[in-house]
Amino acid sequence: MTSPAMTEPEERALLDVRDLRVLDGEGRELLSSLSFSLDAGRCLGIVGESGSGKSLTALALCGLLPAPLRASGCLNLCNDDGAVSAFDLAGDLGKVRGGGIALVFQDALASLHPLRRIGSQLRETLCVRRGQSRTQADVEARQLLARMQLPDSVLSRLPHQLSGGQRQRVLLALALATQPRLLIADESTSALDPQVQADVLALLRREVLGRGIGLVFIGHDLSVVASLADRLAVFHRGRLIEQGAATPVLDHPTQDYTRQLIAATRLPAAPPSVIDSPLLSMRGLRVRYPGATQDALVLDALDIARGETLALVGESGSGKSTLARTLLRLLPPGLDAEIHLDGLRWDRLQGAALRRERRRVQSVFQDPYASLDPRQRIDRLLAEPRRIHGLSTDRDTLVGLLAAVGLDAGALGRHPHAFSGGQRQRIAIARALAAEPDLLIADEAVSALDARVRGEILALLNRLKSERGLSLLFISHDMDAAAAVADRIAVMKDGRIVECAPAPALLRSPRHDYSRALLAARPAPLRMVAG
Amino acid sequence: MPAVTVLQRFALLPRGLRWSLLTLACLIVLAVVAPWLSPFDAETPDWDAVLQPPSLASGHWFGTDAIGRDIFVRSFLGLRLSLLIGLLATAIALLIGLGWGAVAGYFGGRLERLLMRLLDVFSALPFMLLVILLLALFGRSLPLLLLAIGGYVWIELARVVRAEAARLRSQPFVTAAIVAGASPWQVLRWHLLPNLLGLALVYASLIAANAVLIESFLGFLGLGVAEPASGLGSLLHDGSQELDQAPWTLLFPALLLVATLASFQQLGDALRDATDPRRS
Repeated sequence: MTSPAMTEPEERALLDVRDLRVLDGEGRELLSSLSFSLDAGRCLGIVGESGSGKSLTALALCGLLPAPLRASGCLNLCNDDGAVSAFDLAGDLGKVRGGGIALVFQDALASLHPLRRIGSQLRETLCVRRGQSRTQADVEARQLLARMQLPDSVLSRLPHQLSGGQRQRVLLALALATQPRLLIADESTSALDPQVQADVLALLRREVLGRGIGLVFIGHDLSVVASLADRLAVFHRGRLIEQGAATPVLDHPTQDYTRQLIAATRLPAAPPSVIDSPLLSMRGLRVRYPGATQDALVLDALDIARGETLALVGESGSGKSTLARTLLRLLPPGLDAEIHLDGLRWDRLQGAALRRERRRVQSVFQDPYASLDPRQRIDRLLAEPRRIHGLSTDRDTLVGLLAAVGLDAGALGRHPHAFSGGQRQRIAIARALAAEPDLLIADEAVSALDARVRGEILALLNRLKSERGLSLLFISHDMDAAAAVADRIAVMKDGRIVECAPAPALLRSPRHDYSRALLAARPAPLRMVAG
Repeated sequence: MPAVTVLQRFALLPRGLRWSLLTLACLIVLAVVAPWLSPFDAETPDWDAVLQPPSLASGHWFGTDAIGRDIFVRSFLGLRLSLLIGLLATAIALLIGLGWGAVAGYFGGRLERLLMRLLDVFSALPFMLLVILLLALFGRSLPLLLLAIGGYVWIELARVVRAEAARLRSQPFVTAAIVAGASPWQVLRWHLLPNLLGLALVYASLIAANAVLIESFLGFLGLGVAEPASGLGSLLHDGSQELDQAPWTLLFPALLLVATLASFQQLGDALRDATDPRRS
C-alpha cells in the first residue's frame, strides 16, 4: 500500500503506521504486519471479536505493551506545523503519549484515580502537560467539562460518585486536556447503555472529529463502530483482513469474516409461536430493597403464555433483573402479590416444596464466566439439576442436552475454563434445560458476547423454543436482540412497564416516548445497511 | 499417572513451592526412616557413654545426652512425634475451621453474626493458659493435646474461609444452583466446599507451622506427651540443661525444629503466592 501523501508534504496523513508487529516473549507473532493511515478529523474504526488484536494495536501505538510483549514497525505523526515526527515502535514512545496521542479505555472507573476528585485530576493534567497556573487550569477544566456537557459540580466529585456515562465523559475530557492530535478510544462505549452510548458517540463526533482530531475507535460491535467511522479495519486472529472506506466495506465486503460480522448485526427473525393459555401470571408485584426509598419494581399485571417469548427491554436500573430475581423466587414478591404458575401459587411456596418446584423456572445468567462452577466438570454440572429432582442422569441424556445446544459429547469430561464465552453460554443453557423447565429466564444472556456469537445464541434460543415449546422471558437492554426473539416486547423504565405490545407493532409504531427513545438510540447506519 | 509426568509437573512448579515441598518431604522421610538407621535405642541409658560429642567412629552421630541416650535417634523420633501431632492438629483445625467458616459465610444473617461473635469470644480467651490448665488437670494424653492445639489454631482459618464463602455466595454459579432447586446443604457440599478447599489448604500449611511450634512449646514446658515418648520440645528442654557441657544435645533438635517450621512457613507463603489470581 503506497500512500500518495509520501510525496506531498502538505497533504500528509495525520497518522501513518507501517509494518506494525507485536511479538510475545517467545517470538510468536500476535499481530502480523499492519499498515494504515488516518487523516486529521477522520475516524478509523477497528472491529473484530475479543482476542483479535484490537487492543494490542492500541497499546502498541502508545508504547504501553505489557512486559514480555514487543512491538516493531514505525509510526509517523504529523505535527501542527506540518512537520512529521517519526517514531520507532520498538523504542520509547513517551513523547508520543505526551503531545500527540491520547488513549481512552473501556473501564472508566479503573482509569481514574479513585481517591482524588475529578477537578484535581483534570487540573493536574492541565498544569503538568500545558504548564498552566492553578487559576488558568481551573477555568480550563470548567470549559472542558462544559464541552463534555457535564455540570461544574462534577469537579468536586469522586469517580465512584459518577455514572458510567459521566465517567466516560470525564475520561474524554482528561484525554482532550492534553490537546492530542490523535485519540484512541478502546471499547470506550461498550459498557454503556444504548442511550448513553449514543450520547457519547455524538460527543466524540462533535468534540473530537469536529475539532480536527484524528480518532481511532475500537469496538467489537460493528454497528456502533460503523456509525462513527470513515474508514473501517476488520481484525481477525491478529491480522488485518480488510480495510477501506466504511461504505464500500459494509456494502461489498470482500472477506467471509466481514460478511459474517455484518450478517451478525442483522439478527435472525423470531419464528411465530403457538400461544395458548397463560403459563405464568403476575399480579400486584411490589419489590423494595432494604433501605431504599423507592420501589425497585411496581408491576400490576403481566402474563406469559405457554410457548411465548416475552422480551423485557430497558436500561440498567430499570428493574428488569429485579423482576427476573422475583420470578426465580430469589427476592420476595411483596405482600399483596400473586404469582400463578401453571395452577400453582408460585409466590406462596416455601422450603422443600419450593425447591421441588424450582425445576419449572430456570435461568441463564449474563456472565458465562461466573455462572458455571469452575471446579466442576461439565458432566457434573449438567447432571446436578437432574440429580436434585430425581431425573435420569445417564450419559445419553447428558449428550442429548449438549447436542441440543450444538456441542459434542467430548465436552462432558472437561472443566468450564476449557471453553470460550459463547460455548460456556451454550453449556449454561444446556444446564438450564436439564431441569426440563416450563419457563426459561434469560437475564442479559447475550449481552456479554461478541456480535457473531450473540447471533448464534439468539438463533439457538429461537430453535429451542420452537422445538420444546418453552416459554421464554428474554431480558435485555438491546432492542435489536429483543426483536430477534420476541413475540411480545415489554419496555421497562424506573421499575414500571411503560409499554407492552406484540413485537412487530412495537418496533413499527412505539407509543410511549421512552420506547421511541430506545429505538432511536440504536446505532443508525447499519440499520440502513442491514435493511 | 506415569512417574515421568509427575516429575515434569514438579519441575514446572514455582521455585519456592518446589524447595519447600522438597525439604518437607526430606524431613518426613527422615522422621520415618532415620531412627532405624542407627543401632542405638532411644530409651536405654548407656552409663559408659554419657555426654559423648558427635562422632562417626562411635556411631553416636549426633552425640549422647546426660544418661548416654543417642541424640540422633531421639531427635528424629522427636521430629516424628512433633510432625504427627502438628499434622493431626492441623487436620482437626481444617475440619472445624472449614465447616464453621463455610456455614457462617454461606448462610449469612443472624447465624453468621452468632458464629462470628463466638469466634471473637474464643480468640479473646487466654487460650494458652486454658490449654496448660487442662493438661495439668486431666493429664498429658495425646487426644487432649491434639484437641487443645487444633482448637487453638482453627480460628484464623475460619475467618479467612468465612470471607471467601461470603464472596462465593453472591456468585452466579451459586445462584444457578439455588435456582436449580439445590438445598442449602447441597449447595454447600457441591459448590462451596470444593471452591473453598484450595484456600483452606493454603492456610492449613501456615497453621501446621503454628501447630508444630505450639506442640514444642508445651513440650518444652513439660506439658507434651507423657514420658518416655518425647517431642522436639522436651528434647530442647533436656538440651538446655546441658548447654554448657554438651551443646549438641540442644543443637540438633533445634535445627530440626527450625527446618520444619521454616519449610511449612515457606510452603504456605509459596502456595498463597501461587494461588493468588493477581499473580497469574
